[in-house]
Amino acid sequence: MRGKAALMLVWGGVLLAGGAGAVLRFVVDRTVARRAARSFPFGTLTVNVSGAALLGLLGSLALNRHAALLADTAFIGSYTTFSTWMLETQRLGEERQVLDAVANVVASIVLGLAAALLGQWIAGRL
Amino acid sequence: MDRGPTVNQPCLKLTTYFGERQRVVTDHVRRPGFLADAMLDLFDTRELATSVMLRGIAGFGPRHILRTDESLSLSEDPPVAIAAVDVESKISGLVDDVVAMTGHGLVTLERARLVRGDDVLDVGNGDASKLTVYVGRQERIGGLPAYRAVCDLLYRQGFSGGAVILGVDGTAHGERYRAQFFSRNVNVPLMIISIGTAAQVSAAVAELSAAAPNPLMTVERVRLCKRGGELFARPHRLPDTDDQGRPLWQKLMVHTSEATGHGGVPIHRALVYRLLDSGMARGATVLRGIWGFHGDHKPHGDKLFQLTRRVPVVTIIIDTPEWIARTFDIVHELTAEHGVVTCEMVPAVVTRAGPDRHGDTELARHDY
Repeated sequence: MRGKAALMLVWGGVLLAGGAGAVLRFVVDRTVARRAARSFPFGTLTVNVSGAALLGLLGSLALNRHAALLADTAFIGSYTTFSTWMLETQRLGEERQVLDAVANVVASIVLGLAAALLGQWIAGRL
Repeated sequence: MDRGPTVNQPCLKLTTYFGERQRVVTDHVRRPGFLADAMLDLFDTRELATSVMLRGIAGFGPRHILRTDESLSLSEDPPVAIAAVDVESKISGLVDDVVAMTGHGLVTLERARLVRGDDVLDVGNGDASKLTVYVGRQERIGGLPAYRAVCDLLYRQGFSGGAVILGVDGTAHGERYRAQFFSRNVNVPLMIISIGTAAQVSAAVAELSAAAPNPLMTVERVRLCKRGGELFARPHRLPDTDDQGRPLWQKLMVHTSEATGHGGVPIHRALVYRLLDSGMARGATVLRGIWGFHGDHKPHGDKLFQLTRRVPVVTIIIDTPEWIARTFDIVHELTAEHGVVTCEMVPAVVTRAGPDRHGDTELARHDY
């Protein structure tokens, strides 16, 4: 019975952390995109790169099973977005902004990997 | 059924620009409905000859908040434009209701004429004309979808350009037609905006009236400023007010295509960002067409399987004469090689920003 209650609690936590991540993504993406006011999707790039850094950090902290589920999968999982990255890249291509489309893929991968490494490096120093 | 005005009467075109997610301003309903719905309900009740709701792809207003379908987060509240045309008395009778229900947005009134084939159009003073045709989505003329038949005709007549913009709701001959997901949406109106000389417009009106049973068409006088990079004339430099002190406004329409770019970006995208950066524009709305033509390019649309878009796009900029003169410099620079730019006078503009209301619905008079 106690196991079942704990499970429900964790799942409720996943709902909340996931929701919070989604709202934070919307706010950050919108703020950055409005400030930048460019065709290049700086908002999504910011969200994905900062998410990668955070995940690199949290992943190296060796949290317990439930905390990792909440922080990594639920929160960062809904904060970052693969689908938006792909959709916005496709839209750039559709409007003949091929350089921006390629730059969006390359920059996301290079900066994302660097951010994840940086997160791990910071975690190692803590 | 109300057949609408039967002769070439002076008409008014009422256009409202706002964010699609906006709800009606009212104090007696707890959860008011969407503004666009309420406005079309009003037009339905008053049996307007024609009205159409158009969904934009990008734009900003006086608050300089960018909305664009390029980004997922910035596309959740797209700009819409709702245009309605009928005789002066009918439009004047509902303008105040429209202004009252709009919380944030721009309401404009322009003089237009609803025309029929037997009307004699006075071929004006060398300025160009804007012919707008309203047909149903699935209506057919001579075995072709009506919008394609109309574009073919306008192209044959040598018009400078034409764009078909899909409506999602509207009225035609006093009847409401609203797009639904599970429906063929036969009569949901779409709008065909085209630019030609007065003579071309006269000929097209006669030919269209013969080809279609009861077409809805309006003619407005415009100045053709640019075509294909060539500058014909800058916008008229109008005074700030008419001789009665009523403010004058102007509207620039920039007709481009998804296929024409400036510095690697489609012209309409570059235009919105430049205008926003400049801080010299009160707003802009970009409408994307589904079919159209410009210059020597035959009428075309998008295909189901394609990598890049090539449909026409219309960018609308409404501002005071002084600001339009400055905005035109930006438009001029970005349309160095492509695009059709027209300018016209807007005799009444009301801006709503919450409790603030600027402008009047009384129409200014100015001969130019």
